[in-house]
Amino acid sequence: MSGAVDLSPRVPAVRRIGPALGSDPLLASLVVLVLAAALGLVLLQPAPYLVNMVGQLAAFAILAVSLDLVWGYLGILSLGHGLFFAIGGYVCAMHLLAHAYAVTGTAPDLMQFMGWKSLPAYWTGLTSAPYALVLALGLAAAVAFVFGLASFRSRVNGVYFSIISQALVYVAMLLMFRNDTGLGGNNGMTGFSVLFGWPMGSPGVVTGLAVAALLTLAGVLVGAKVLVASPIGRRMLACRDDEARLRTLGYSTTRLKLGIWCLSAVIAALAGLLYVPQVGIINPRVLSPDLSIEIAVWVAIGGMGRLGGAVIGAVAVNALKFWLSAAMPEAWPFILSGLVLAVVLGLPNGLLDLAALRLRPASLKPTSLKPTWLRRGGGLR
Amino acid sequence: MSALVVDSLSVVFGAFRALDGLSLAVDAGEVRAVIGPNGAGKTTLLDAITGITRPRSGRIVLGDGLDLTQHGEAAIARAGVRRKFQKPSVFPALTVRENLSLGCGPGCPPGAQADRIAAALAETGLEARAGALAGALAHGEKQWLEIGMVLASEPRVILLDEPVAGLSDAETARTAELIATLRRPDRAILVIEHDMAFVEAVADRVTVLHEGRTLFEGGMAAARADARVIEVFLGR
Amino acid sequence: MVEGVRRLGLVALLAWGASLMMPPALAADAPLERGPFAAALCGDGAAQTKAVEAFLHRAAEAEAAEIAWAGAALRALLDRRLACLGETALLLDRTGAAEGVEAATGTARPAAGGRSPVLGLRQRALVETASGAAALLTGPSVEARRAGLSILERRIGAVPEAFLLRAASAETDPGLRASLAAVAQSAALSSPDPARRLAAIRAVSEAPSGAAFSRLSALKTDAAYGSDPAFRSALDAALARVERAVSIGNGLAVLYNGLSFASILFMAAAGLAIIFGLMGVINLAQGEFIMIGAYATYGVQEVLRRLAPAWLDAYLLAAIPVAFLASAGVGIAIEALILRHLYRRPLMSLLATWAVSLFLINGVRVAVGSQNLQFAMPSYVSGGVPLYADFVVTWNRLFAIAFAVATLALTLVILKRTPLGLDIRAVTQNRDMAACLGIRTRRVDRLAFGFGSGLAGLAGVALCPIYSVNPGMGANFIVDSFMVVVLGGVGTVAGTLVAALGIGSANVLIEPLYGAVAAKVIVLAGIILFLQRRPEGLFAVRRRR
Repeated sequence: MSGAVDLSPRVPAVRRIGPALGSDPLLASLVVLVLAAALGLVLLQPAPYLVNMVGQLAAFAILAVSLDLVWGYLGILSLGHGLFFAIGGYVCAMHLLAHAYAVTGTAPDLMQFMGWKSLPAYWTGLTSAPYALVLALGLAAAVAFVFGLASFRSRVNGVYFSIISQALVYVAMLLMFRNDTGLGGNNGMTGFSVLFGWPMGSPGVVTGLAVAALLTLAGVLVGAKVLVASPIGRRMLACRDDEARLRTLGYSTTRLKLGIWCLSAVIAALAGLLYVPQVGIINPRVLSPDLSIEIAVWVAIGGMGRLGGAVIGAVAVNALKFWLSAAMPEAWPFILSGLVLAVVLGLPNGLLDLAALRLRPASLKPTSLKPTWLRRGGGLR
Repeated sequence: MSALVVDSLSVVFGAFRALDGLSLAVDAGEVRAVIGPNGAGKTTLLDAITGITRPRSGRIVLGDGLDLTQHGEAAIARAGVRRKFQKPSVFPALTVRENLSLGCGPGCPPGAQADRIAAALAETGLEARAGALAGALAHGEKQWLEIGMVLASEPRVILLDEPVAGLSDAETARTAELIATLRRPDRAILVIEHDMAFVEAVADRVTVLHEGRTLFEGGMAAARADARVIEVFLGR
Repeated sequence: MVEGVRRLGLVALLAWGASLMMPPALAADAPLERGPFAAALCGDGAAQTKAVEAFLHRAAEAEAAEIAWAGAALRALLDRRLACLGETALLLDRTGAAEGVEAATGTARPAAGGRSPVLGLRQRALVETASGAAALLTGPSVEARRAGLSILERRIGAVPEAFLLRAASAETDPGLRASLAAVAQSAALSSPDPARRLAAIRAVSEAPSGAAFSRLSALKTDAAYGSDPAFRSALDAALARVERAVSIGNGLAVLYNGLSFASILFMAAAGLAIIFGLMGVINLAQGEFIMIGAYATYGVQEVLRRLAPAWLDAYLLAAIPVAFLASAGVGIAIEALILRHLYRRPLMSLLATWAVSLFLINGVRVAVGSQNLQFAMPSYVSGGVPLYADFVVTWNRLFAIAFAVATLALTLVILKRTPLGLDIRAVTQNRDMAACLGIRTRRVDRLAFGFGSGLAGLAGVALCPIYSVNPGMGANFIVDSFMVVVLGGVGTVAGTLVAALGIGSANVLIEPLYGAVAAKVIVLAGIILFLQRRPEGLFAVRRRR
């Protein structure tokens, strides 16, 4: 896979892009497709709802890539990635409200709801988009760091990590459902009217957001590909397959996992940041454990351990969902569960198996699935 | 000069004392074999040295005075202690070359890495398989690749856990040669093995473990003659 | 027991009040003479007042039959069914009837020429009170007696304490007895006599409760609180005492609720822990197995309602095997159809069980509907016994606790005493070795999965009387039960039990202090911190890998 890539870590990242993409034609063509879609949106000016849908799909694809990075390449299945997505989304929503308040002078519903005369201290500076961006990504990284450090340091692995991360997002959801958090409680935040001074919902803004999401997706894909094709990427795979062994070779797997975990959280936050202005609302339901599991489902359906698989899975499932949950909402949960079971039982590498685009995915060889985590724990007493 | 000193080491699992005040000193340049019946504590000793198992009491000190019991697995490996596991432990999803590059360790100077990989490939005779996935190698090749990964890091202390288990006679002989080439004046090698002929071929001295303690220490010939050793182990 | 204490307090209060009332030497010791009493009722206002007051003071000792008779006469007077012919009073069936019975003797007589006396305002209130007293003591039904009490309450000052004492000791209905106590207490508390008030305060503080606390705190606004130091110190002491007792009682109640929550958690988590320890499968559908158990219970209830309504109350017990088998059956089917193929892929089996849970939730939603199910509450799970202050041992929660204890016993017996249990333990500890010994590990997996699912079904039965039952109910338990498994360690029943108790009571303990959400946050943080020290959980043995 990366045999042609220079193994030395001294090569600048930019010069690794070519070889990295060259080694993964599927991903390269996806990147081209994404860029073409962005260009198409600008030139062809399709109907706004279509543009908006493409933009949302791109945000979901970014989210899926962020999860694939830790799951497919590092073996850490997070069932709490919705948390980081929500952090990006909430900070973005706060920025949009603060910004709209500053520009239009109309107090947002949230202020009336909370009975505020002015925005409280922790909203300070959120009128500035760069600050909001730094805050969103920094907050996601910080939360990921604290949680990751606590888990990885004590070697909480495998399904243990999965269910603790699920508890984390569940608790966060309960927290955000409270009305006294000052973030809209049950209703969340909505009514965004202005983006960078432009009226929200105007065709230009809709297209701009979708194009931004597509470009970010392309950037994230290329960056992630360079990462996984680098020596660090090899360490990730080694860590996924046998973490204890990698440690006995002198590598601090805690640091490796923590770094990638935080990076993944930042990418997920970026996805949330791009998603919220496109749907125009954020509420605690993005923190429901089910949504976080769904992210894993997209990746599994597309094919984990392949960045392209994550994108395909996210787009395929969500496009189907857009269509079916409107056409026959009752049937959608059954279709989704059937899809999951079919993929899990029949297509261990997801839809990529169907496409027969098998370029020896690095993942899911039977040997790599040896449940090393099963070793921990005692017998039944 | 001792390269590795194990000083009254005890490891306890529940009520079971796997190692019971074990002491052992391996000199630089020496190949030491540790033998003993099943359950004598051989693999536990390696686990304690590599930091996988925390001892209840005692110390494990490297030649330069570093107490390994105070460090984690990664730090111990970076200090120059490397282990070949009993089960071949290579990364199946990576190529032979990539496995070796991981074997060099994180402290490997970037300029030296290519040379070390080449050297390890040559010594293990895996040049032709450099681009193959480790998962696709034969059992013997995996064992050698693992030894190559140990080699690539240029360790001070090498721990080999049953390096010839499950190998054919020809492969065993080839492994014995490989171990002979590992020997260096500034390096201590500790081998755990059941194959007595192999031990006799590679080891300078043997330590016989029994129930977590040293039963005998000396040459292989003397070990074969020792009445207690015969009783617990050889004379079965 | 505590009920007894409460009654003692009431009796003491009333007895004391009665003794206080004795000295004003009312000539009421003589037995009630029917003739003069009836005549007095026919007399002027003063005569009526005197007779009725005398009756009220007599009522504490008079024979029940006598009181019933007086009550009937008073009732008749109130309803204008009393006809006076000179000195004789006749009781009529209805106002203006042609014939009645002589009040004193019961002999029938024509009522022609009789006069029905009209009560004055003062007398009317007094007669009402007296007839209420008679109703309270001799009323044939709880309702009649309760109506009597509510009449008494309006003029409680006129009612002698001794009478209330008698009514309380004669009363058989616990609810009405409690009301009597409350009425007597507030009567004494607002008494104009300071000594009587002090004694009442003391007596109230003997039977502490939240209601007693608010009744006492109301006295702080009383003028005496500022002017009378003795009153003030007595009230403060009593308040402190009641407050302490109430908080102890509330503490007990919290622990009790925690215990019952922990019981449900244990039942949900025990199955998870067995399945996880054995097969490494994280079963995200475990919450739905609970739901299936609850729906099976509902089904049993409905079947009994149609086929054997007399046995309806037994539905919770009848549902035990049904719920167990329903959940176990679904579990075994899922194992055989899906999970069997995924044992080497724990994360994929996790997603598969999520898909199953999605399917089950929506399947039930479509088939039955998403509304909460209505359960009949059999007598053995409704109400409870007040134990201390406001702490009431409610039967529904006790049911869940007893159920969990039985489940624990069942689990231990199956794991430790049956061949299947031995197989489960063997496969959990060393699958390959067990297979070599000829244990059919696949079959063990299937049966254990069924057993674990069945345990969740039992949890579903136990929570029917406590929590609401709807298709999405599983989600309320699943995260907590996973935390139990993580904290307790894989595959240890003891660990699961201790962790369930810990998480259950921690949740319930923190909740009243900082709120339910903070409780969850603190518990999660606590678990993560705990795993820093013992990543393998509470009860995992340290052993060689």
